[in-house]
Amino acid sequence: MSLSDLDLAALVRPDSVHKRVYTDPEIFALEMERIYGQAWIYVGHESQVPQVGDYCTARIGDQHVILVRDTDGGVHVLYNRCAHKGAKLVAADEGNVGKSFRCPYHAWTYRLDGSHLGAPLKNGFAGTCFDPADPAFSLRPLARVSAYRGFVFASQAADGPDLATFLGGAVTSLDNFCDRSPLGKVEVAGGVFRVLQRSNWKVFYENLHDTMHARVTHESSVAAAREEAKALGGMPFELHIMDGNGEPYEFWEKLELRAYDNGHGYMEGIFNPGAAERDPLARAHFATLEAAYGAERAREILGMNRHNTILYGSGSPHTVFQQFRVIRPLAVDRTLVEIQVFRLKGAPEGVFRRALLYANIINSPGSNVMPDDVEVYARCQEGNGTDGGDWISLHRYLGTDREVPGGMVSTNGTSELPMRNQFKAWRRYMAGEAAAGRGLHVA
Amino acid sequence: MLLDLDFDVGTRDLRPAGLSAEAERQVERFLFAEARLLDERRFEAWLALWTEDGMYWMPRRPQQESPYDHISLFWDDAMLRRVRVRRLDHPRNWSQQPPTRAVRLVGNVTIDGLDDGGNLVVSSVLQVTEWRRELRHLAARVTHKLAGVAAGGWQIRLKRVDLVQCDAVLDNLEVYL
Repeated sequence: MSLSDLDLAALVRPDSVHKRVYTDPEIFALEMERIYGQAWIYVGHESQVPQVGDYCTARIGDQHVILVRDTDGGVHVLYNRCAHKGAKLVAADEGNVGKSFRCPYHAWTYRLDGSHLGAPLKNGFAGTCFDPADPAFSLRPLARVSAYRGFVFASQAADGPDLATFLGGAVTSLDNFCDRSPLGKVEVAGGVFRVLQRSNWKVFYENLHDTMHARVTHESSVAAAREEAKALGGMPFELHIMDGNGEPYEFWEKLELRAYDNGHGYMEGIFNPGAAERDPLARAHFATLEAAYGAERAREILGMNRHNTILYGSGSPHTVFQQFRVIRPLAVDRTLVEIQVFRLKGAPEGVFRRALLYANIINSPGSNVMPDDVEVYARCQEGNGTDGGDWISLHRYLGTDREVPGGMVSTNGTSELPMRNQFKAWRRYMAGEAAAGRGLHVA
Repeated sequence: MLLDLDFDVGTRDLRPAGLSAEAERQVERFLFAEARLLDERRFEAWLALWTEDGMYWMPRRPQQESPYDHISLFWDDAMLRRVRVRRLDHPRNWSQQPPTRAVRLVGNVTIDGLDDGGNLVVSSVLQVTEWRRELRHLAARVTHKLAGVAAGGWQIRLKRVDLVQCDAVLDNLEVYL
């Protein structure tokens, strides 16, 4: 069966979405072209490739790419494919290639910008159209690369909005992420978790601002943390960040959900890091920011207490605890989540240790919290494979959200606005002008 | 906070332990009994094997030196061990329905020596076959630091589990190995 743009558009209603968007491999393949082949997608952070020749690899949709540091200090994003026989040039997650790439198959070499450097026994190409200056014999770069305060994004489409325009109001989360450093700079540090979810990639995005799930899905870890706190007679940070999911419905209803064009958004914070018992760390952090920016600005920076931000197609930065959950679709029912941890340059070392601790407790495969999320996502995937029904409900607080410049804001924090907003973007990518403009026709 | 602890995770620069063959056999039996408690999900009894300051550590990367400057798959003190057990026993622990069943094979038990704190450092190889929805095979080099108990026997001060697939893409790891 093949899908027309009209078929695709009909899968998204204002108040619901058809289950095929999660289960149909053909739709997944189209998403790789029409969303991941077009949008700005996070590749990695500049701090992952500090030295000339440093590289790290990433998946942009179904494409394997390399982020590499060039001799002039710039970075490039190249497809991981030798122009000769097509072998992947580098296989590791990260490393250093020296001054040039060298293919392990026949020793074709490339400069760090991907341009052709050499191939052995050149005489053999005499009389052919082999031409080192022809891009066909070089590594192909992604169409556009742009960095925002060190966060490197790439787009496989030559045309489209610039990165900051694309990110819209959600870009303020990347600003706050960096502003929390007294130097305004962050670096990836302390390792990366890689977790497999047996579910479609969109399920995780929907969950990120799903305030109605927290106290239900996470009941066991909330109860465990609360029982332990009761036995201890106190609520240390480690338990506090598990306990947060257990807030009553009234708490979630008061939160504010922001939704911006292209599926992005953010959620007002649910954890107040200063609320953890006896926290001299927040005060020490404040002092470094006060010295750098003045007290008023420092209060403004730390007062921006956002929980998950959504950069649709890329993942979810968490500004307060310096994590970035990067979401990489693998297949219609498989998603890889890479959790990066960041150090705020110039901030007290304890702030970095708190980020590591938050990662260990919340984002590790060994977490007590995340497994219940991963479980319910997998159940959605399996349940939607049955004939028990066709539509997924997005009705909650439909029609009550208010417009703000560049997007919408919820009037109730349990609104399913973020999901409706994501599918509005999905529909435009998949069936709207965006798809038509690229001249793609599905036969 | 857990990452402000001053806990000695070092397992090098040891001095000879000079254990008798019978004492070595006792240590081996202690490790077998520990594995069996986990196999049978007798978590309360397993918790009682630990010193109050004991740490369960599963590093994220091979030869990880420290849990203080790098993420770890597990870095659990007594409080977090109790929290994990409370969750595993909770009726609404969705990701443990059905529960993980497993058997552990402990082998190559070697007494490495005594550390500065007088803890007995014991190395072993762990093979775990696990079932939850599908079969999973986990393998690890395990390093125990055991503290002698006055009345005889041992308590766990450190259990370091170096998974062979520690830096891979991983499914949930909810139950102690």
